[in-house]
Amino acid sequence: MSSTTDALHALLATARGERPKSLACAEAEEVLNIALALLVELAVAGDRIDRLERLVAELRGQPVDALRAITYDGDVAEERQAATDALIARALRIMVDPRAARAKGEAD
Amino acid sequence: MKVRDLQHALLPAACTDDRSRQQAVVAVRRFLNGNVRPRNVEVFETEGSPAFVERFGRQPQSPEEVRQAFLLSPSYRLWSAANRSAQEMIWVSVGEPIYRDLPRITAAASALSHAPERLGSLELDPGYEPSPEVADVDIHLQPGGYAMDRGEDDVVAGALYELGGNVFSFGQGIGRGDSKAAVVIRLLESDFGGFEPKRILDIGCSAGAASAAYAAHYPEAEVHAVDIGAGMLRYAHARAESLGVAVHYHQMDAASLKFDDDSFDLVVSHNLMHEIGEEKRRSMMKEARRVLRPGGIVVHQDVAIRGLPTLVHQVERDWDTHFNGEAHWNTYAMADLVADMKAAGFAAEDVQEHDLPAVHGKNRWYAISARKAA
Repeated sequence: MSSTTDALHALLATARGERPKSLACAEAEEVLNIALALLVELAVAGDRIDRLERLVAELRGQPVDALRAITYDGDVAEERQAATDALIARALRIMVDPRAARAKGEAD
Repeated sequence: MKVRDLQHALLPAACTDDRSRQQAVVAVRRFLNGNVRPRNVEVFETEGSPAFVERFGRQPQSPEEVRQAFLLSPSYRLWSAANRSAQEMIWVSVGEPIYRDLPRITAAASALSHAPERLGSLELDPGYEPSPEVADVDIHLQPGGYAMDRGEDDVVAGALYELGGNVFSFGQGIGRGDSKAAVVIRLLESDFGGFEPKRILDIGCSAGAASAAYAAHYPEAEVHAVDIGAGMLRYAHARAESLGVAVHYHQMDAASLKFDDDSFDLVVSHNLMHEIGEEKRRSMMKEARRVLRPGGIVVHQDVAIRGLPTLVHQVERDWDTHFNGEAHWNTYAMADLVADMKAAGFAAEDVQEHDLPAVHGKNRWYAISARKAA
């Protein structure tokens, strides 16, 4: 079995039993599970970035701390900040979505 | 012999991301166990118990009411949901590389098990129906459970148990150099005058870590091990062969051993008592004594979850029964094991309970031992 997705589905196909919930809301518990899985995947991505930084530092003949101390000003800094702002807007979209606000108003 | 983090031919080819994922799951579990779970009893007092009083006008009394009160605490519910999720992620983190590399693992296991120069043996019983109280449950959420057998040459249950067990243990704070067999060997040296067994039986051997460790430590001894699962035993046998140690594996029930009376010097079980019900545990203890030679020693080692001070602590510990597929967790924790050993035929003065430090890390283990009268 070469595909990671196939491997994952093969594993899940063997799991048995009821899945008891702890939170009052089953949907909230599912979202928590997704968030924790993403936390783990974030750690995996962090490890990858760390490896790449170390390899680049080695290729440059510098300590990795020197690579991590690099800061950018001007256009590059603005570009980076814009990317961060966009990431936050995507992640927190639900908090500013007017449809969510309208629904809350109707409920009130 | 190390039993964790040990390299052998059956381990899946894991990429760097697999290892990162397993380490991240260990870190999540270590955080939940080290920083969040210790507050559960406190949040029972500050959230659970007051919520119960508000709803019912009185304090929770019975274990079921205390459990109900725990579940009225938002902090406890959040920990419980996260802990269940982390336990499931253990199996994802190890199951993915195992199934991905399964054709190679299966071929390697088969080659080792059938090699002409093999040191040990494997005896499966096609007529044996694995005990449903163990086989029908995904114990600690291991997908498919201990007795999963997907057909000839299948070793998935053993592979999952070994790799998942390592990720679980490291997240529990158990040291990478710890070994339950080494804890028992140290006990034999300290409390039984350096007892040197010539014939050893490991009951409920799962993926074979302890039995292989005994075979390595006592190279002159003949080591036998039994378990209910064919997939577990195929893996255990091939693993032992890969490590170059001789162990004879048998598929049979712990409560009905097919060995002669008085035929072993040392009979051990590791983390078995909490996986089986009361009746089977008592039968297992009787069988362990029956096959023990006069003068021989039995040691049943298990997790140190017994003797908690209050009902609230006991119910908190019982999370595993309800959320982690550990149906007999509380039964084991509350059992009078000394009485069971006496009922098995041991003299009261020969039975000892032990609170044992791990050989590596801060963990502790429980054990109950007895010497059969000569």
